[in-house]
Amino acid sequence: MIEFRNVSRTYGRKLAVDGLDLTIRDGELFAFLGPNGAGKTTSIKMLVGLLRPSSGELRVCGFDVVKESQQANSLLGYIPDEPYLYDKLSGREFLLFVAGMFGLASRAAEERVTREIARFDLASFVDDLCESYSHGMKQRVALAGALLHDPEVLVLDEPTVGLDPRSVRLIKDLLRARAAAGTTVFMSTHSLAIAEEIADRVGIVHQGRLRFVGTVGELRQQSERMGQASLEQMFLEMTGGLAEGASSALLTPGAGEGQL
Amino acid sequence: MSNVEPLTDDLNPVSPALPQRASLLTAPAEAALFQQLKRNLLTNTLIDALRRSRLRVSLATILTLFLWAGLLVLFYAGFDFLEDAIPEPATHDETVRVVYGIFFASLTVMLVISTAIIVYSGLYCSDEATFLLTTPIRDERVFLHKFQQGMLFSSWGFLLLGSPMLVAYGIVARAPWFYYIALIPFMAAFVYIPGSLGAILCLLVVRYLPKNRMQALMVGAGFAALCGLWLVWSLFASRNSELLTPDWFLEMISRLRSSENRLFPSWWLSTGLLEAARSGWEDESERTALVESVMFLAVTSSNALVLHHLAVWIAGWTYRTGYSGLISEHPTRRKLSVAWMDRAVEWLLRPLNPKLRMLIIKDLRLFRRDPVQWTQFLIFFGLLGLYFLNTRRLSYDVNYTSWVNMISFLNLAVVGLILSTFTTRFIFPMISLEGRRFWILGRLPVGRDMILWSKYLFAAIGSLLPCTTLIVLSDLMLGVSPMIVWIHMLACVLLCSGLSGIAVGLGAKMPDLRDDSPSRIAAGFGGTLNLVLSAAFIVILVLMMTVPCHFYLLSMQQEGQPGMTLNEATQRNWLMAGIAGGCLLGVTATALPMAIGIGAFRKLEA
Repeated sequence: MIEFRNVSRTYGRKLAVDGLDLTIRDGELFAFLGPNGAGKTTSIKMLVGLLRPSSGELRVCGFDVVKESQQANSLLGYIPDEPYLYDKLSGREFLLFVAGMFGLASRAAEERVTREIARFDLASFVDDLCESYSHGMKQRVALAGALLHDPEVLVLDEPTVGLDPRSVRLIKDLLRARAAAGTTVFMSTHSLAIAEEIADRVGIVHQGRLRFVGTVGELRQQSERMGQASLEQMFLEMTGGLAEGASSALLTPGAGEGQL
Repeated sequence: MSNVEPLTDDLNPVSPALPQRASLLTAPAEAALFQQLKRNLLTNTLIDALRRSRLRVSLATILTLFLWAGLLVLFYAGFDFLEDAIPEPATHDETVRVVYGIFFASLTVMLVISTAIIVYSGLYCSDEATFLLTTPIRDERVFLHKFQQGMLFSSWGFLLLGSPMLVAYGIVARAPWFYYIALIPFMAAFVYIPGSLGAILCLLVVRYLPKNRMQALMVGAGFAALCGLWLVWSLFASRNSELLTPDWFLEMISRLRSSENRLFPSWWLSTGLLEAARSGWEDESERTALVESVMFLAVTSSNALVLHHLAVWIAGWTYRTGYSGLISEHPTRRKLSVAWMDRAVEWLLRPLNPKLRMLIIKDLRLFRRDPVQWTQFLIFFGLLGLYFLNTRRLSYDVNYTSWVNMISFLNLAVVGLILSTFTTRFIFPMISLEGRRFWILGRLPVGRDMILWSKYLFAAIGSLLPCTTLIVLSDLMLGVSPMIVWIHMLACVLLCSGLSGIAVGLGAKMPDLRDDSPSRIAAGFGGTLNLVLSAAFIVILVLMMTVPCHFYLLSMQQEGQPGMTLNEATQRNWLMAGIAGGCLLGVTATALPMAIGIGAFRKLEA
């Protein structure tokens, strides 16, 4: 379970996250939606202990991420948008190292690594150095590493960016399966379509404030109430819409000449 | 939410029930895990380097051994000279103690600053630290891991410079085996003291002065530089005695006593090692020396351990908060405008093709907006400038024209070698980096040849002014003849052109389009080859242009003297041949690599 209790975070004078109140239950897949700079990554960085909230409290399975960061992190699996792997380790060595960090004994670690290699189809390259991997391969190894200790909470920052359709599908299936097994999944994304397809609930954040929390069905109902033709229009409306004239400037040949 | 068929059944977790909470590692278990990580990284790096960059590894090993052996010989000669020049044991010991004291005191200051900078970059700017902070590893372990890496990076120079000096003293002083064994723990314990101080400084500055960390660093570095300048001034200002005379030694010793404060780790180290060098079992004084040495080793080690523990404790308390504070700084957006420098260069390059001019200005803009490039340029050339300014003293003290000429030739070679490191580090990778953006340049109405020529002109013209200024400064300070100044100017133009041609041509012939780090591209096979070819070009060019000049000047001095062996007319012919050969070599070093590079660049696929 994840609990944000009136969490705020400032960057200098800029309020990046403003009074975020949100609880994500066990076994729930929550998609955090918003445009660039809305506060999604800041919220995730606070959740995984990289950033401290300026005010408020954040708990993972009951552990305060500031005061009990080690315990909170032991229950988390985190995949950033650009996962880090050691260039000079093979995928297998990296996974064994991660298993060790999560306190898995060597025999259990070997078994889990074998399990994840099979699950993510890593066998063909897992013994090569990570420096030779493509973005998709790195993402799969990072996912395998995040799942080795069967985390109770899975946090993903833009997990599908830059991946081919097969890998995107693999991740979507995986996240649904984990949520069905009781794992809390917290995912940030730009893609309304992905959220619509797999999320139990979505949160729309704009300029640091949570504008909407609910199921996709509830979002659709609200969209109809507000007379918006599509979820996309609803989303754009909530997040400030397109800048006036931006669409027409981009679509009209020569309209932006001399400015762009 | 739509129902989709899973891609594979394996996606379902092993057990539907949530697993037991993962256990946290104990400190020893964490230590063992990170030792295993380091072992794996080291083994894989070595295997990979031996498989892919055998030339680079061999060259680096040979050059390191060569440098180490050269330093050993140099220090041996120095200590041997001291033993002969100061036969009285008490004064001799005092002199060595002062030499050690000043060497280790300077190293202490340098290690504090370098470790602080390296630890800062490892703890707060590395992806690895960010990754580790999201795992259940203790903050203290993350700090320790990065601190040990930082210590290794900052102290290898000390080990490379310090070990030959200490070994050389041991040989001259006929030290017992205990001395050589004691060197290792003494050096290891010593480097941990300034290293830990540097790390503590870094942690506290980031935690409490996150917005002013650069100013704090600049103030610290400025203070250290002022101390260094004061020391140099106090040593050399208003010297009363003649150079290298016994009075001079005594005067220097009395001036350097400030480095002998008994609270300085440098004093513990130098005293401990000097005692170790005279220790033994034969008589009472040798046994006392042994005990004293062990005592100083204990003092150095215990202080190192205390500071190390203090650094780890401070890290546990400040690291994560400092990290959070640092990354939550709001990035300042600078409105970049066309600087006066760009406008001046554009005006100066008016005769060139406008497209060529724009490409050169683009590279200039990238150069001046990248502090890594221009600060290194400034530091190295600034240090060379300081050294050349101080060569004036040499021209007075060593009143021997041949030596002065030789030093001026060596200065020319040094300028060339420093320039070659810059062309390897910054110019060679330019084509590889440009290749990654080839979809922009490749589609512009600009010929590919022009891209390479713009890089060449940028490097050659950009390096010409600082290099010729330095060479003229060196020659003026040394007071060499005008003929040497003109030959050096010509050699400098040829060096700038040739080194730029080699770097641009080889960079285009051997691009590394996979890597986006210029330092890694420069450290690859192509970069190593570039450095080796550049060094060979410098040595041959300098020899061709300066050796005949040297002999020609000698022949002029000998003219009319009895027993003269050099004929002026013959030497003049050699001089002309040398200059012509140098010009030919310079033109070849420019044209040949450029032709090869242009050929390869035309075939490069975007």
